Amino acid sequence: MTTASRTRTRSLLRNLMRRKRRDRLGGWDKTLFGVIILVFLLFPVYWMVNVSLQHGGAAASTPWIPTDVTWTGYAKAIQDQSGHLLVSLLVASGSAVFSLLISAPAAYALAVFRIRWANAVLLAVLVSQMIPGIVVANALYSAYTEAGLLNSIFGLILADSTAGIPFSILILNAFMRAIPMSVIEAARIDGAGPLRTLVSVVLPMSRNSIVTAGLFSFLFSWSDFLFALTLTTTDEVRPVTLGLYMYISGFISDWSSVMATSVLASIPTILLLVFAQRYIAAGTTAGAVK
Amino acid sequence: MTETLRASHAWTATAAMALAVAASALAMPATAIGAEVDSIRVLDYYNDSPDREIYGELLNTCGAELGITINREVVPGSALMSKVLQQGASRTLPDLLMLDNPELQQIASTGALVPLGKFGITGEGFQSQVIAASTYEGELYGLQPITNTIALFYNVDMLEEAGVTPPTTWAELRETAKALTTDDRYGLAFAAPANYEGTWQFLPFMWSNGGDETNIDTPETAEALQLWVDLLNDGSVSRSVLNWTQADVNDQFRQGNIAMMVNGPWQIPLLSSDADLHYDVVAIPTPEAGGTSVAPLGGETWAVPNTGNEAAEAMAAKMIQCINSDQNQISLAVQRQTVPTKMSDAVQEEFVKQAPKMKTFSEMVKSARARTAKLGNDWPKAATEIYTAVQLALTGKASPADALKQAQQ
Amino acid sequence: MQTRMSRRSSVLASRKLSNRRKERLIEMLFLVPAIVYILAFFGYPVVKNIVMGFQDYTMKSFFTGEAPWVGLKNYEAIISSSVFSSAFVNTFLFTIGSIVGQFTIGLAIALYFRKRFPLNDLLRSLILLPWLLPLIVSSAIWRWLLDQDNGAINRILDMMQLSDHPGWLTTTSLALTAVIIVNIWIGIPFNVVILYSGLQDIPEELYEAGQLDGATGWQAFRWITWPMLRPVVSVVLLLGVIYTLKVLDLILGLTGGGPANASQTLATQSYQLSFVQFEFGQGAAMANILVLISLLFAVIYLYMNKSAGKSS
Repeated sequence: MTTASRTRTRSLLRNLMRRKRRDRLGGWDKTLFGVIILVFLLFPVYWMVNVSLQHGGAAASTPWIPTDVTWTGYAKAIQDQSGHLLVSLLVASGSAVFSLLISAPAAYALAVFRIRWANAVLLAVLVSQMIPGIVVANALYSAYTEAGLLNSIFGLILADSTAGIPFSILILNAFMRAIPMSVIEAARIDGAGPLRTLVSVVLPMSRNSIVTAGLFSFLFSWSDFLFALTLTTTDEVRPVTLGLYMYISGFISDWSSVMATSVLASIPTILLLVFAQRYIAAGTTAGAVK
Repeated sequence: MTETLRASHAWTATAAMALAVAASALAMPATAIGAEVDSIRVLDYYNDSPDREIYGELLNTCGAELGITINREVVPGSALMSKVLQQGASRTLPDLLMLDNPELQQIASTGALVPLGKFGITGEGFQSQVIAASTYEGELYGLQPITNTIALFYNVDMLEEAGVTPPTTWAELRETAKALTTDDRYGLAFAAPANYEGTWQFLPFMWSNGGDETNIDTPETAEALQLWVDLLNDGSVSRSVLNWTQADVNDQFRQGNIAMMVNGPWQIPLLSSDADLHYDVVAIPTPEAGGTSVAPLGGETWAVPNTGNEAAEAMAAKMIQCINSDQNQISLAVQRQTVPTKMSDAVQEEFVKQAPKMKTFSEMVKSARARTAKLGNDWPKAATEIYTAVQLALTGKASPADALKQAQQ
Repeated sequence: MQTRMSRRSSVLASRKLSNRRKERLIEMLFLVPAIVYILAFFGYPVVKNIVMGFQDYTMKSFFTGEAPWVGLKNYEAIISSSVFSSAFVNTFLFTIGSIVGQFTIGLAIALYFRKRFPLNDLLRSLILLPWLLPLIVSSAIWRWLLDQDNGAINRILDMMQLSDHPGWLTTTSLALTAVIIVNIWIGIPFNVVILYSGLQDIPEELYEAGQLDGATGWQAFRWITWPMLRPVVSVVLLLGVIYTLKVLDLILGLTGGGPANASQTLATQSYQLSFVQFEFGQGAAMANILVLISLLFAVIYLYMNKSAGKSS
């Protein structure tokens, strides 16, 4: 870069920074539009809250705004589901961590090391995503019964990672491919082994994709019903997705309790996700080349 | 010295003998009573309240009587079959298994259940069709304590307002439904979704007209289907019935959007909770006056899986007998808005005395019919054909006769 | 005659070789946990499902373990059934409709949320709610919203005087559309989060440099954003297709495959065959057909990746 173009870039950057600062002050108009997008997108969620505040089985013709607010749904949900919520949180967090631990090195290896059969591994990972869940659940039930892993949080973490690990490998692999080889080579020249390169160089640069992969591993595990059903036989270790069914029978449904449970379950999760998404910041890959 | 040694030896010997006798005395009661089993595993699908507690109490009471503890596994209704299959494949079936009555013959045909005759249990005194559902190839495999069926619920106030009486024939049903339909409400609703619930609701109409599940491509079944199509075309029934479950229909009824509905007694607690809603129940109308309304039999049956543990199986059989005792049948039926399956006057009269609202249902059960009595484990195919035909006809894709023909392909 | 120098270099060479082998070993260790996990948890199910497609697997087989081999009979039976062709077309429409909808809306929202404004983080997290809710809850809510007589959607359409109470879930012509719309709604968060993450990885400098050359707005998107985003886009689309082909509980919850098989897909048919008619062999065969379709897309993805090579 010539001195002239460097000065041009610097002044451009300064202008952009100024504009951004101004935007931050007046950015509320964009917030408003963002809220409008959300209103359209989340109208069904509003309906869920609406129903949770009404009596017993509500149907399609529930009024727009709950006129006769009752908290019985929430009372029941808190009473019955607190334990289940805790189990869900533990299993989902455990699964997210476990998935990342296993998939990050693998994704890195597939992206960076020149392995001839890398595509075969990726294909195997993809095929695993195509199998219907019930087939996996049936196989796991037999295996878990023999291994005594039924009704255990650890067992659920392992099983729920069947969604998180392949997904994380694929996502991390796609993102890691975008890391310039020059960065990695620079690390090797400095004498770093593959592990060091991964931990000190690649992972910080992959922060966005790691948060994303971890987030979805959490969500897959959180919303899993199949393994919760198959791999538990008592109420000791029961995730909330299954606990929800306490209010649903073949013929009658206590929808206000169901919706209340859903609302209660969503709140800690959203808080967790807000916290996690703070880490998806811009420019983690920038500057490395320089 | 030797004297004392001999004495101390003698003492130790006596002490040891005493301990041995004491130990065997403590051990004896277990073998003496003959109960080598001190707990059994149970699997059922009464996952929601209050059913969960009602059955939990019943199982524990019977267990206490027999001196055993109950290890109970409860799953949501839709998940029972997959659990049974998983446990069957891994040889971990429970000692006592609850099944929805139309599923018993399927499971029995695999050899997974023990015939109850082995334990001296017979179906004498029970409603014959209830026993038929739990019988496979002449052997009784399950015993069902309570049953239910469907009938016609109607809103008393709405009928009074319109000046009509509850219908008893199909022609009356059409007229009454039309008379009750206004801008704000539909005259009638039933559930016709794309699953077994749709089949279940259609059966009384099919059976009361002489139709049969062994071959649905008959004029009698076509006429029954035509009735539904006519009701829909009259505007007395909402198109949404194609998607509504019986729970949805009940919600609509409670909110005053429907004047009459085909539904079951399990809705009574919800319906009774609303003081402003005045409702009553009659049998589902028959094609002609004076005909018999033949409705399907619901309810769950209890069976003993073939686990190889003879003592546990025998204990499970005793549990089944306890669950099906006169007193327990009546108590269950009163708590769960169902009808006891023992047809003796003693049981039925006592039951109606304790639950007067169930009188109509008690009557209907006498002539009710089991879904799997004729087809056994070929029922799933027929059931699928029936609801497919219903959906084809109600969406107007085919005439009733054609719909039935198409569905059987 | 080997001089000391050449002996030294050959020793060095062989040491480099063993170093290289040691390094190779460490590299393999990166992959071992993942490969062990995949084989342990998926190996047996995959094989079992393939084999089941060739067997007459009934309920009895679960209990006795016996299932007679019938070769291709299951595949013949399902392909020649009357429902297969419409289920196949429905699957195609359902997948294309869902992916196009989810992706375009997801990308638009992700692009919008790149801007800095207050509460951006919170709003972006709330967008995840459709994915977060249990399916039993989402399908119940949508069934109420789409109810023909009293559903909120029709009430809104009434107020805007747009149409005459369509039967979203009860008309054969609309059922598939309704199911696609709900699936798009559920899939938007998936696309938004991953695409947003990918967008954030694009260096700011590229945009600034582009601005110097006068490329803004649509041109910036076409020449900077899109090429840089391509690897992320292809993985999102691929996973989207694989997941959409498997969608089952949503359709069952909304319409049960009806009315009159109007919203029946290959996935729901597979479920029907296995768990309603207890023909597990045919259900497995149907599932295997779905796997083959997904495999096709996967192979295309991997081929495109190979030719694209690694970016530098």
